[in-house]
Amino acid sequence: MRNPWAQTGNYRTSYVQDTTIFANYREILSVVLLLVALCILPMFLERSQVLVLNFILIYAIAVLGLNITTGYAGLISVGQAAFMGVGAYTVALSAPNLPFWLTIPLGGLTAAIIGFIVGIPSLRVKHLYLALATLAFQEIFVWVVGRSPALAQGAAIPVEMRNFLGLEIGFRNHNYFWYYVILFVLVLMVMAWRNLLRGKYGRALIAVRDNDRAADAMGMDPGRTKLFAFALGAFYGGIAGGLLAYMQRAVVVEEFTLGRSVALLAMAIVGGLGTVVGSLLGPAFIEFLRLYMERLSEWMKSNAFIQSITPAGVDVASALLPLSFGLVIVLFLVFEPRGLYNWWRLLRSYFRTWPFKY
Amino acid sequence: MKRAIVLGMVAMLGLAMAQGRTVNLLWSGAVTGPTSDVGGPYGAGIEDYCKYANEQKLIPGVTLNCTVRDDQYQNPNTQRIFEEALDRAKPAMYLGYSTGAMLQLKPLINEVKMPTLPASAHIGLIDPPNNQYMFLPVSSYSEQVVALMEYINRTDKNAKIALVVNPSPFGRAVVDHARRAAQRLGQSIVDVREVGGGNLDNTALLRALDAAGVQYIIHQNVAGPVANILKDAKRLGLDKKIKQMGAVYTGGSDLIRLAGDAAEGFLWASSYYTLDENTPGIALQKQLAARYNRSADILNSTNYTAGMLAAAIAVEAMKRAAQRFNGRIDNETVYQALIGMNGPNAFKPGFAVSTKAGIEIDFTRSEQTGAEGLRVLEARGGKFVPVTDPFTSALFRQVRNP
Repeated sequence: MRNPWAQTGNYRTSYVQDTTIFANYREILSVVLLLVALCILPMFLERSQVLVLNFILIYAIAVLGLNITTGYAGLISVGQAAFMGVGAYTVALSAPNLPFWLTIPLGGLTAAIIGFIVGIPSLRVKHLYLALATLAFQEIFVWVVGRSPALAQGAAIPVEMRNFLGLEIGFRNHNYFWYYVILFVLVLMVMAWRNLLRGKYGRALIAVRDNDRAADAMGMDPGRTKLFAFALGAFYGGIAGGLLAYMQRAVVVEEFTLGRSVALLAMAIVGGLGTVVGSLLGPAFIEFLRLYMERLSEWMKSNAFIQSITPAGVDVASALLPLSFGLVIVLFLVFEPRGLYNWWRLLRSYFRTWPFKY
Repeated sequence: MKRAIVLGMVAMLGLAMAQGRTVNLLWSGAVTGPTSDVGGPYGAGIEDYCKYANEQKLIPGVTLNCTVRDDQYQNPNTQRIFEEALDRAKPAMYLGYSTGAMLQLKPLINEVKMPTLPASAHIGLIDPPNNQYMFLPVSSYSEQVVALMEYINRTDKNAKIALVVNPSPFGRAVVDHARRAAQRLGQSIVDVREVGGGNLDNTALLRALDAAGVQYIIHQNVAGPVANILKDAKRLGLDKKIKQMGAVYTGGSDLIRLAGDAAEGFLWASSYYTLDENTPGIALQKQLAARYNRSADILNSTNYTAGMLAAAIAVEAMKRAAQRFNGRIDNETVYQALIGMNGPNAFKPGFAVSTKAGIEIDFTRSEQTGAEGLRVLEARGGKFVPVTDPFTSALFRQVRNP
């Protein structure tokens, strides 16, 4: 038998080997190292920097869900933020009576039920038509929340958790506590995602995406598979929304509008559709882009020389952020449609085959 | 000898620290993104007043480090900017902006005991829970709408009114208070419509309100959507039939610029003085706009006045904190100074109108509205002119806590 630590290629000889979660031991080792690094990372960061990480990890969970619906099953969804909202509002309503480890899955389940219902049009329509159906759900969600007295008509509903197993949670440790909770949930969700995709349900998603009539001919049920994809993608969104509610200490409808749904789609595209690594890289890239563009914009505004050469009445600095956001998406679509994941794949491939080129 | 040298060095160090002491003030708001037409001038007002405060040494021995950040009207950005400030340069006071972000930050603001003056005048910000450290510089949107209803009642009993509000928490907040006020005044709220920024044709809206016999439309929105409705009303010939009016962010120079002559006759509830009035605050506004090369649009904007008022309250609270607590300026002493800003200690910078008692800005632990006086102004000949004396809504406090 070959030394499993020095594996240089794909030597799988059975179906069981082909469906393992990790391809080889090196992959397991790299995941363990990554997790250790993520666990100790907050020790080197300020509270507000941990907050940025929390946003990235929460969006990563939502993008993972979107990658099931859109990336794997090929069903375009422009309503992922609304599914997050369903999870967040479920948490807000149930938090006074239930512990957080029950409210968050409850938020996910509620979102999954709504996702199942929203997915019904996918039984009849495809592509742009389906995108419009999900867009309609996104708008209906905002409309309903904004008119429900029980949901404070879209204004804030406080979601506070000040104590967990005797540990007092407050300003000093709030972001750190939720970082570890979110990281734990993210690891669980990633494992479930990987596990799903090596089984028959995951493969059915791919088959239906590639050709639903062929999948039907092979004995799969495309309708059931599409509804499953919507429900599962929404479940991930609901979990992300629930975590966001606790982390932000309150739920406000502005967090779950069409703009956020589009941003999640952008994260999925930039990261690489249908990939776990892309689901993590996309949110990180977009959030850091936002941060650095903000810094650049502030620097430009405070720099007298730049201000003196800018035409009067044109605020170039303020336009930088939306400009960069749009430009990045267009550039990725044109030059790297497989997203950042592809760069990661090439890098890995380089080190795996080093010193040889191929 | 050694001891004398050490003591001398400590004293010099203390003196040097006292001389170069810096106090932080933070504002984050929409310089870009939605509502930046309000946020831009508001932020400029804060920036300019801070520069002026440092130049004039309004807080003796203290340099004000005024940070103005653009949150693009996005709540996660506001949260991050606020927490960054708490980590790096704990501000003595926070000047906030949007309704949603401020509502979301309320629990954190209360926990870190940070006195906060938001630009939003949503009543929920000063309603419990977690409201201890939130203060509105001027009267709430709800109070302004109720005051407009009281104004209608002066000449027209049993009026038929429609509310046109923004589809957001800040727009909707006034509806319940307006309904309760209408009940007490004998008026009827015929319809409540939500109108956002994409209202390019309001024919159906106006025809429906006209058919329902609406005599007055009260807006709780920003200037853009209101201007579109005014222009459509003029086009349909309904401008003489239905009187339109609105709360603070609906009016001002932005509305005149956007609606042109269709704005004529629009009634606006505002606590601020206009640029034509000769008050210390307005004179300062003109002086600072000229000194810091601000455009005519910014100078003419009420939001520039509003930003200056917020910064002026913060600077005054810091100055009083330093006087009262042996030079200590932090969130705790500033809070104490702020809630002591009443009675003979009320603040009168001349940006907002005074109540009948002659008080411009006052706060207590439980009364968290600064300028409680307001006037109704009417758009005439391309500018707003006051049509009432300053008054305070008599009914609002009854309908707020029925």
